[in-house]
Amino acid sequence: MALFSELRRRNVLKVALVYALASLLVFWLVGGALLSLGAPVWANEFVLLVLLIGFPVALIFAWAYEITPAGLKKSLDVDQTQSIVFKTGQKLNAAVSVLAVLGVLALVGERLMPTFELPKIIEPILPAPVYEQPNQDGVPQEIRAYTLDNGLRIIVWPDHDIPNVVLYNFVRAGGRNEYPGITGLSHFFEHMMFNGTKRRAQGEFDETMEAAGGANNAYTSKDLTVYQDWFPRAALETIFDLEADRLKNLAIDPEVVESERGVVYSERRLRYDNDNFGRLYLDMNATAFIAHPYQFPVIGWASDVENWTQEDLVSYFRTYYAPNNLTMVITGDVVAEEIFGLAEDYFGGIKAQEPPQVVRTVEPEQLGERRFVIELDAPTPLLHITFAAGSATDPDTLPLSVLLNILVGGNSSRLHQLFVEEEQLALSVDGFQMEGFDPGLAYFYLTLPPGADIDAVERRLLDELNRIARDGVTAAELEKARNIMIADFWRGMSTINGKASAIGNAEVFLGDYQRAFSLPDELKAIDAQQIQAVAAKTFDRKKMTVGVLRSPEEQP
Amino acid sequence: MKRLQPLIVALGLLFAAAAFGNGVTLPDAERIVLENGTVLILNENHDVPLIGLRAVVRGGASADPADKHGLANLLANLLEKGSGDRSAAEFAETVAAVGGQLNTAANIESITISASFMADDGALLVELVSDLLRRPALGSAEFKKLRERSINLIKAAKGSDPGDLMPDYANAFLFDEHPYGNPIGGSESSLAKIRHADLMTYYADMVGADRLIISVSGDFETAEMRELLTIAFSDWRPAAGSLPVIEAPEMADGGRVYLVDKPGATQTYFYIGNVGVARGYPQRAELDLANTVFGGRFTSMLVTELRTKSGLSYSARSILTRNAQPGAVFISSFTETSTTVAALDVALSTLARLRDSGLDAAMIESARNYVMGQFPPRLETAGQLAGMFATLELNGLDASYINDYGDNLASATPESVAAVIEQVYPSSDDLVFVLIGDADLIREQLTAYGDITEISLSEPRFHP
Repeated sequence: MALFSELRRRNVLKVALVYALASLLVFWLVGGALLSLGAPVWANEFVLLVLLIGFPVALIFAWAYEITPAGLKKSLDVDQTQSIVFKTGQKLNAAVSVLAVLGVLALVGERLMPTFELPKIIEPILPAPVYEQPNQDGVPQEIRAYTLDNGLRIIVWPDHDIPNVVLYNFVRAGGRNEYPGITGLSHFFEHMMFNGTKRRAQGEFDETMEAAGGANNAYTSKDLTVYQDWFPRAALETIFDLEADRLKNLAIDPEVVESERGVVYSERRLRYDNDNFGRLYLDMNATAFIAHPYQFPVIGWASDVENWTQEDLVSYFRTYYAPNNLTMVITGDVVAEEIFGLAEDYFGGIKAQEPPQVVRTVEPEQLGERRFVIELDAPTPLLHITFAAGSATDPDTLPLSVLLNILVGGNSSRLHQLFVEEEQLALSVDGFQMEGFDPGLAYFYLTLPPGADIDAVERRLLDELNRIARDGVTAAELEKARNIMIADFWRGMSTINGKASAIGNAEVFLGDYQRAFSLPDELKAIDAQQIQAVAAKTFDRKKMTVGVLRSPEEQP
Repeated sequence: MKRLQPLIVALGLLFAAAAFGNGVTLPDAERIVLENGTVLILNENHDVPLIGLRAVVRGGASADPADKHGLANLLANLLEKGSGDRSAAEFAETVAAVGGQLNTAANIESITISASFMADDGALLVELVSDLLRRPALGSAEFKKLRERSINLIKAAKGSDPGDLMPDYANAFLFDEHPYGNPIGGSESSLAKIRHADLMTYYADMVGADRLIISVSGDFETAEMRELLTIAFSDWRPAAGSLPVIEAPEMADGGRVYLVDKPGATQTYFYIGNVGVARGYPQRAELDLANTVFGGRFTSMLVTELRTKSGLSYSARSILTRNAQPGAVFISSFTETSTTVAALDVALSTLARLRDSGLDAAMIESARNYVMGQFPPRLETAGQLAGMFATLELNGLDASYINDYGDNLASATPESVAAVIEQVYPSSDDLVFVLIGDADLIREQLTAYGDITEISLSEPRFHP
């Protein structure tokens, strides 16, 4: 006890405290500054070493010497009645207070800025990773890309217009990866990814994200399952924690699975069973494809939704949610390096898996038209017509988009003007092409007036498609389509969400995010002959499928 | 290691955050009132080479004659069908040729034109908007074609997602003869009654310079855009008629049920509501917090009960429609036909829990973070900004509506939120229920909720 009292009297404890606090701040400041100036890691370690060596020296000094009005003296030489250690102690108290305030500020700062963290003291010395920079003209130079050792690919596009961030996680799993018995499983999994992990109960994922100011959604297509988070910058680390948690620790609770089947059923009733467009769309896919899994509804056949098993879910997750099957895109108020650091910390430990089996089935060439009818109480008949077309990377895909734009892109398009305005054969006419991993469809859909002569409308449509194949398009039509597509490109690029979507889809479907920026040049290179050739090749009756939905009494 | 940031940066951010305050600041805009009453609002920003425009004419569907619902919307759509020297087809062609977008529509209290053009086409944009407002052809052949198509599109909607028609049925039943009960697009029967002369009268009486707000945001030079708009609109006439005065609608007393029969529907779509608040409601921050927690986000009480816990529905929401006078406050969801009553009861008990328990401080904090975190992307594009400036002007609100919002959210307490909930959300005794579904399968169970009024989905009207 006497030793302890003397330690206190000689301010050794206070000196220790002041030294520790001051060292911490010095290390933060100097260490951070060194790193931001690009100094190597050993410089940081050197600072730490000096501070550690100084600690016992400072304590011994405090024990052995005292500050007196006459200067520094050995403690043993000081007359205890004249000692001013109390005053020195008060000064040390003040120093502790100041340092404590600075420390609190630093901690608060750290809370406000989730990227601020104490450096790890023992850091293996690794070569600095090289982040990929754009290497093509017209690509914003601030974009960076990087692939972690486990295969997770990350693309970052900093944009500081608003203090928000968008994260897209593209999972290469969709309807095309399914087979009879598990149709709809990709989409069901999209739901299960929000339903609890080994660390977080059902609902906690969303509660945590929304409490931090974030919102999320996801969608499943025939090719992909895509998760989207929209959040303020301050929530960055929370989002990484949440996303990593569900990739590492997803709980597939059998009770939750049962309840979620009901939710998916409700979604199916909403989008398909009680919506005539949705019904016809599902059957069109099931008819136009006879072999390839694009024939399956992404929502799943009802019997599969009822019957898939726990084992189906577990094996699906392991295969498709492996880091080597994911591409993440982050846009908004971030710094590329901090994102790659977070990704390394949160996702780096997830193990790669064997790549999923490739989709082996190739749709055989269609050699004649296919037809089907759905009869039910329909206030207005619907007519859907498709033609076999290419995949996203098919050289015909962009010319076909231009062609579809000329045919159905807006009120001035050929088919809208003809069918809706001039001849009033349809209430609306529209279309799109699937641009997926595998060859898909060019898809036209029309809503007809009550009592319409459906066959006559079909003939009229085929006449028009033949005409464009025979006579081609005008220079003005081509120019207009280009302008619409370029303006749409800029509209997409005016939000951080549109940016994430554009570069992510280019990366996933075209193999390089930079392709998102070459659209204007690629459009300029397309000429009217190409459009006509694509029309002639695509609008071939042998490759056509026609679906009609109408009331039974409208039977001719 | 890469996550290390210097302490200085952390402290700097701390101070920056303190100076930035709570939330979003509306950018500066120039506001000009022309002598004829037209208001111009210009917000120049050069982020992307686009211009967003929102033109608003006060009035809208609430000024439709009682037996001619859909007139304002028909007029709005007809404005695009030829104007100035251009036919309908030429007008559409001119817009599309430069990659532009231009849409006209009626809302309950305005006719709006929304446009997005490339920066180089600002002069053309002003010319087109000025033509369609000041020199529309309003041809009788185009009118007849549009009227018939509008009627058929309502029929087509009856074969699509029935939820899309819910607002028309629900407003008709809740507000009845009050103008807020008018179906904006009209009904099959009300559209059939509209004559070309009605349209000409509405245009002369209800559309004019004194009712017009034009808000432009994006990549232009302010002086140039101001001159273009001033020349285009300064000599326009005022509207000849006066705007109808809209009184506050009455709250519904007791329970009432409106059952819309769709035979064969496998799902029941439902709406539970009453009259709520106006846009100028002073405690908007508290109300937004309450509604976020009740049914405005994925972890809301309604989604938790109707989806996450029970699997009864894919989606459930609570919505407030806010106009010059109080609009509706309602719950909206859907469920399999056989679970209709179960879902209604879950919705009602959740509403009762909101009213009984209010929100605790932690929930208020979570909702505040959510509302503020999701706010900046709502004012991100030129089109969104043009729309926000126009909406503020239309409703007589200023920038404080945006700029003070964060502080107002910050000052909400469990007590102030509870008081707002008590005031705005109806008690379970006074509710209007609107359901679209297979009536034969659910009719008897619904008598418990109030007197039932029934209509078939195939009837050509929305009002009982």
